[in-house]
Amino acid sequence: MAIFDTFGISGSGLMTHRKWLDAVSDNIANVNTVRRTDEDAFQQRMVIAEAVEYGTGQGGVRVARAEFGDPEGRLVYQPDHALADDEGYVKYPDIDLGDQMTQMIMAQRGYQANLSVVERATAAYQAALQLGKG
Amino acid sequence: MTFPISGIPGIGASSGIGGMAGIAPTPAVADAVNGDAFSSVLASSFDQLQATQAKTDGLAAKAATGELKDVHDYMIARNESSLAVEMVVGIKNKAVEAFNEIMRMPV
Repeated sequence: MAIFDTFGISGSGLMTHRKWLDAVSDNIANVNTVRRTDEDAFQQRMVIAEAVEYGTGQGGVRVARAEFGDPEGRLVYQPDHALADDEGYVKYPDIDLGDQMTQMIMAQRGYQANLSVVERATAAYQAALQLGKG
Repeated sequence: MTFPISGIPGIGASSGIGGMAGIAPTPAVADAVNGDAFSSVLASSFDQLQATQAKTDGLAAKAATGELKDVHDYMIARNESSLAVEMVVGIKNKAVEAFNEIMRMPV
């Protein structure tokens, strides 16, 4: 319903932050994914957000695309590993766990912020509808 | 001796709401003066209400079958449809109230 536009806009924010959380969880899940040195390492997933212009009658945000991190990864000396090359190296993804944790907190806080907008908008609309019940 | 009562001219025939000085008639008011706009406004808001309800029902079915991707989608749709019901019922109540008020008017 066009009257309740706030819900659609906040919903797009929720969707974007949910996708960001998905990307972070994918990165953390693969933080120890080992590859051979002649293969590409697991590439970090990054969500690129894009504003939807308010003048179009929609507003909000959407995920424009996903970017991928460095396929070079980092070489780790692990001669015991099944995938190690002749010199004893394997390739780990170039993902910093601390950075991912920070991003996770940001995504979670953003999600919560959008939820509080929905909550407040609901309360505001309900208060407006109370006007007619006098 | 009886006084013949002539037909009461419709509201639209008299000065009308839109005719008040200083207030430009909005399209809705102008339509109301011309004819049965209120019923069509109510009908269209019922249509919108039905669309919102259908969306919520679809999401509820998805939630039950495990197809729902975003929990917030369903919660927001539910919120929206309950607000829409509240609003349309409020409009309906006011309309009925106004009608009753007119019916009680001594002629």
